[in-house]
Amino acid sequence: MMSIAEYLQYGFIQRAIAAGAFISLLCSTLGVLLVLRRLSLIGDGLAHVTFGSVALGLLFGTYPVYVSLPVVMASSVGILKLMERARIFGDAAIGILSALGIAGGVMIASIAGGFNIDLFSYLFGNILSISVEEVYTSVILSLIVLVVIVFNYHDIFSITFDEEFAKAGGINTQKLNTMIVLFTSITVVLTMKVVGIMLTSALLIFPAVTAFQIAGSFKYSLMAAGAVSLASVMLGIMLSLFFNLPTGATIVLANAFFLTTAFIFKRVRSRGRT
Amino acid sequence: MRSRLIIYITIAFLCASVASCQKSEMAPRQGEQHKVRVVASLFPLYDFVRNVGGERVAVTLMLPPGVEPHSFEPRPADIMGLNNADVFVYTNQYMEPWVSGIIKGMDSRHTLILDSSKGIKLIEEKNGGHERGHQGDVHGHAGMDPHVWLDLGNAVVMVDNICNGLSAKDPANESYYRNSAEQYKVVLRGLDDKFRKGLGNCDKKTFVNGGHFAFGYLAARYGLQYISAFGFSPDAEPTPGQLVKISKILKQQGLHYIFYEELLAPNVAETISRETGAKLILLHGAHNVGSEEFRKGVSFVTLMENNLKNLETGLQCRNK
Amino acid sequence: MPEQIISSDSLSYRYNSVEVLSNISFDVEEGDYIGLVGPNGSGKSTLIRLILGLLSPASGGIRLFGHPTLEMKCRERIGYLPQKMNFFNPFFPSTVREVVSLGLMSGKKFPKRLETGDNKAIDDALDMLGIAHLRGKAIGDLSGGQQQRVFIARAIVNMPDLLLLDEPTTALDPETRDNFFKLMKRLNREKGVTIVLVTHDTGSIGKYASKLLYIDKEIIFFGGFDEFCMSGDMTAFFGPSSQHLICHRHDHSLLALKAKPKDE
Repeated sequence: MMSIAEYLQYGFIQRAIAAGAFISLLCSTLGVLLVLRRLSLIGDGLAHVTFGSVALGLLFGTYPVYVSLPVVMASSVGILKLMERARIFGDAAIGILSALGIAGGVMIASIAGGFNIDLFSYLFGNILSISVEEVYTSVILSLIVLVVIVFNYHDIFSITFDEEFAKAGGINTQKLNTMIVLFTSITVVLTMKVVGIMLTSALLIFPAVTAFQIAGSFKYSLMAAGAVSLASVMLGIMLSLFFNLPTGATIVLANAFFLTTAFIFKRVRSRGRT
Repeated sequence: MRSRLIIYITIAFLCASVASCQKSEMAPRQGEQHKVRVVASLFPLYDFVRNVGGERVAVTLMLPPGVEPHSFEPRPADIMGLNNADVFVYTNQYMEPWVSGIIKGMDSRHTLILDSSKGIKLIEEKNGGHERGHQGDVHGHAGMDPHVWLDLGNAVVMVDNICNGLSAKDPANESYYRNSAEQYKVVLRGLDDKFRKGLGNCDKKTFVNGGHFAFGYLAARYGLQYISAFGFSPDAEPTPGQLVKISKILKQQGLHYIFYEELLAPNVAETISRETGAKLILLHGAHNVGSEEFRKGVSFVTLMENNLKNLETGLQCRNK
Repeated sequence: MPEQIISSDSLSYRYNSVEVLSNISFDVEEGDYIGLVGPNGSGKSTLIRLILGLLSPASGGIRLFGHPTLEMKCRERIGYLPQKMNFFNPFFPSTVREVVSLGLMSGKKFPKRLETGDNKAIDDALDMLGIAHLRGKAIGDLSGGQQQRVFIARAIVNMPDLLLLDEPTTALDPETRDNFFKLMKRLNREKGVTIVLVTHDTGSIGKYASKLLYIDKEIIFFGGFDEFCMSGDMTAFFGPSSQHLICHRHDHSLLALKAKPKDE
């Protein structure tokens, strides 16, 4: 058994920690907003759209991410429009786009007569296989999104809490909603490539729900979600080193552990009150 | 009035769909130039059937190009194709665990179901020396390594099995099949010799791939050591321990090359390459090929010849 | 000349090709305290939303402080209390302070921040509603009436010139309701806040408001309570009990009105 110090000498572990840290904060923050708006499954939904768009990209012979990003961004705005105009609930809208994405991908793959590579494997990264460029991408993306959210904190809080009131107060709800949804799609596409869809989805949902168990204010929810997310990534990586477990899955389980703990803590606390 | 109409139409549809379940009488093919319709579940089998059956067979590969077979699940159209075929060739129960379920629904009088690995001794799954545990086989045995075709001796047996199957189904052309099979086996044996010679005098005795454990049989046949990043299914995630172990092995044994496999994104191989400075080379498992290759009509033999070249480079063999 | 706070001109609104509001024209002047009443489905909330620019009219126009409302100007001068059943997810993690602080955001420029003065304003608003002691609590932990008071605090915290309140008293018990109306009266009489208050509680509104806007897809009546109560025709429209309720509770009795000259 190697010591942690020895493990840390390996580049792929260093990159896992670096990218993992930033991605955890990025996903947990967006996750809070998404879960509150009943859009928790948008990560999964957009992943399916990405599948279709990668097929499209391969069909045209371009680097798939160049096609995926615009297609997924357009789909996420499509989900917004479905909710606004067609008055379809968020989860149904996600389901619609998700199914279209898969069907589109299968159709394209069929028309193209197959591809040179397996679509799914191309798409779905793994936290232990991160390149240096992917670390940079993760850090830059996270910083941009987090800074924008911080600078628009009150407005974002407002539209998430009560969109109508926010609009009446002069906040440009359309612009902000679109921005959040576009950030989400960029995050899903890039993060999926870096750490895989399992982790992306989990990090979008778990830390937010955990935070809601223990935080009483919006501000603390965001902070708690970030803390829990970061902690589960670090804990997950450490445990996977110690016990030689698959890292991505361990991180997800660490997330689950924190959620369970928070839930128990909440029950105990409320029982203590009565 | 409108709602009654809707109900009638619905009932009509339901009846029609139930009616379609009846066994349709297959219109018998006109004329005796009927080719034997064969469906193969894996690329090497497809290629073997092509070579043995020649013009007498019409063979299709169930896997679309570019699709990775370990997670492949047959779709309704695939199953229909199987039912319409005269012969269905599959690798073995470990490569296509879904076969047992499908077979139950098929009419074996109509379709000959051919286990191409009959008579081949399967190796138990292992990965570079330590037990990996069950692969979750339905029958509860420890899992067996399904990649039999990469041992050219096994390939010969598979060709024989296919020949026997085609002959049983189409006895009129038995001599044709036996002839073709013999010719093809000569090619395979020749290839085997090249491998033996090519890999007999190498600086390194170990090769490592950053993919799944596909080359156990090949390694065993030529007395090589083989290690892979993870187990049998490419879906599995490698653990940090495995990656570290592989990096260490490469360093300790002075291996300058790391192999990556076909069709799958070479993430893990790239990671190891970054860590150790080893160069990436392709080692093709011949499960399936990409659409480009397919269009160009690549063959199992060419794939293996390329593999030999790459192995000679990777193992630093002194035959050039 | 008092400022034209709201000015509506032949406003109409359609939803799913059903005409919800038709030919609505009225002006609200500075200092008005208007009770907006009407039967269920008469379009009261829709009108409030049109005034706020949350909906676009099918025809006609509406101005707020002289600007077309869709331009979204002068929002910091408005306080809004949406109808309670609108949205509210009680599990939303947020404290009373945080919710009330949202009312302060319309006046601010990017990047918006909470200043020290703001915290005092929040506390003052909570105090006015008698819930200062709840400031740190999670909104989901409060009773319906307390939550409603938080939203009222959110509407007044920015010291707006115009208050638009959609059914503010539905969840409130009688004592709280009374305090609420007293507060509104103070804001209107002492600070000159213009108020448009949607309510089913015709009795209470009769007591405090200066004008009545009665709509049922169209404007049925718009004017002072005196007018309303003096006019015999109105009985036919509203039925004697309704009018009686409004006018009976009015400051002046009908008889006294008939005697007095038309006043202030």
